[in-house]
Amino acid sequence: MKILVIEDEQSFANSIQSYLNSNDILCEIVHTIQEAFAKIEVYNYDCILLDLMLPDGNGYQILKELKQQNKAEGIIIISAKETLETRIEGLTLGADDFLTKPFHLSELLVRIQALLRRKNFNGNNLIVFNEIEVDLLAKTVKSNNITLDITKKEFDLLLYLIGNSNKVLSKSAIAEHLSGDMADMLDNHDFVYSHIKNLKKKLSETGGNDYLKSVYGIGYKWQK
Amino acid sequence: MAKMNQKLLFKTQKSYLILSIIVFLISAPLFYFVTNKLNVHEADETLLLRKKVFVKHTLPTFKIREIAYFNKFNQDIKIEKNKINQIQDSLFYKYFGEELNHEKEDSRVLSAPIIIENQSFNFITKINLVENEDLIQSIALLFIVLLILMLLGLYFVTKWLANKLWEPFYNTLKQIESFEIDKMGSPNFVQTNVEEFGRLNGSIHKLIENNLIIYNSQREFVENAAHELQTPLAVFQANIEMLIQRDDITNGQADILIKLSESVSKLNRLNKNLLLLSKIDNQYFAVTETISINELLEKNFVFFSEQANTKNIKITKFEDKSIFVKTNATLLDVLINNLFMNAIRHNIQNGTIEIKVAENAITFSNTGSLKALSEDKLFQRFSKVNPSAQGNGLGLAIIKKIADLNHWQVKYNFIGDLHVFSIQF
Repeated sequence: MKILVIEDEQSFANSIQSYLNSNDILCEIVHTIQEAFAKIEVYNYDCILLDLMLPDGNGYQILKELKQQNKAEGIIIISAKETLETRIEGLTLGADDFLTKPFHLSELLVRIQALLRRKNFNGNNLIVFNEIEVDLLAKTVKSNNITLDITKKEFDLLLYLIGNSNKVLSKSAIAEHLSGDMADMLDNHDFVYSHIKNLKKKLSETGGNDYLKSVYGIGYKWQK
Repeated sequence: MAKMNQKLLFKTQKSYLILSIIVFLISAPLFYFVTNKLNVHEADETLLLRKKVFVKHTLPTFKIREIAYFNKFNQDIKIEKNKINQIQDSLFYKYFGEELNHEKEDSRVLSAPIIIENQSFNFITKINLVENEDLIQSIALLFIVLLILMLLGLYFVTKWLANKLWEPFYNTLKQIESFEIDKMGSPNFVQTNVEEFGRLNGSIHKLIENNLIIYNSQREFVENAAHELQTPLAVFQANIEMLIQRDDITNGQADILIKLSESVSKLNRLNKNLLLLSKIDNQYFAVTETISINELLEKNFVFFSEQANTKNIKITKFEDKSIFVKTNATLLDVLINNLFMNAIRHNIQNGTIEIKVAENAITFSNTGSLKALSEDKLFQRFSKVNPSAQGNGLGLAIIKKIADLNHWQVKYNFIGDLHVFSIQF
């Protein structure tokens, strides 16, 4: 899987690159619109991460260009500037998702995965992880062929954990992911614990392996 | 100071009233005195003329035997014997009992010595002066009428004049009174041809312009600062996330990392709230629609219940009414969420929250510290009652800002150990 990161903040782009690399996602980084155009002309990408404020212009130019060329890349805008207008303009110009900086890299990863699933695997709504089967359309989970009685939050959590396999996830990252738009209203992250506990329990009841490890002081990890 | 502020017009009119009274008090006796004097002078001239006419036309042929006959038919002229050897004309006052109207008439009398057939006589003639009391009464009445007329005139003239003259001033005053720095541009003062008002308007205009420039640059600064902070925050957060992926982290390092991570989250929220405040200032949320408060409350109820659960807080809802509010959806959302969050954040373990939707109002009552909070500081930015609390000190400021923007009332009360926040739509 190949991704183009158009981001002028080098250090941030590098963090994205190394986080995604370990999930078999190949990242190429460019810092300007000109560099981006040069890359887009030659290569095809599965997904483009686009910062809007670039040194040689506005990221919308790239969106317009891609639309003109009828390129099928999925585009996620990563911008510090979040207003309803920028969001709407971005989405009407063909972007698929919008992430406001700062965001958790784990969140970025699951967004990319969701985008690619929508783009590439039409009709295939099944995620299989060893004995666990997640049906995205029916929102059901089977473990060892037993359907789990799972809440929406736990479903979200499982998808997020599997998507970030082998990654250490901080409690705040999990809490913010589960809260969605309400993340700004979080008072504490303790509620994460009860969801983790319930999910763990439900999975173990089907005789499945315990993939969910807690990491001292920091959070949790879904170990392959 | 208990002294009441008086209107400018009242002050002018008070001065005019005092002046009128003084003028009246001085001029009334003066007028009386002068009229009296003139009256007497006129009477004297008439009397002397009578004597002159008598001496010229009647005296040369007048006989002593005719005196009784003359006196009989002349009421105002008498000829008497000169008993006191008067040699000069003399004018004096005399009171006569006038039988007809039983009043003592004040009369002016001329007594002049005349010679008839070589005998000395006195020619006595009198004239009634206008009755003094009547004169005083008439003058007083006249003056009172004049005074009233003058005062009425002054009152209406000054009022009319004041309204007309001071119109630009009151116009300016009204504009300044309704001026709100965060809601509009500088006011447009009505053109005036009065120099002082022109200067006043000019100065105020300049003052407001300067303040607007400062206010706008401050607003821009907050927005730019908040925006510019987001990229370094993103770098910070991403690097911590990369760091926690390492498997050689000791427990001590993990503790430090999680503290850093939490601080970044907090900083991020603070920054977002600052951005929100500056967006409200920049009239970013102008679009309005009609929203059901009850539905809005329901929308995020699960989220907040979950948050409240970690403190084992009991939430009760009383929805007496279904209410709808026409406003910006995002802001109303933020308002209700902040109220809810506030009630959880400053609550105690095993506490309670009561939410009440009543006619045109929503109320959040929560347990918390056992002391009432100081209301004047409560809604200011960064005024935290409990410095160790989770909040960033912007929640209530945002609530207040949104309420102010919509002209809603935010109230805080401390009733029976409950902190009660209510929004009056």
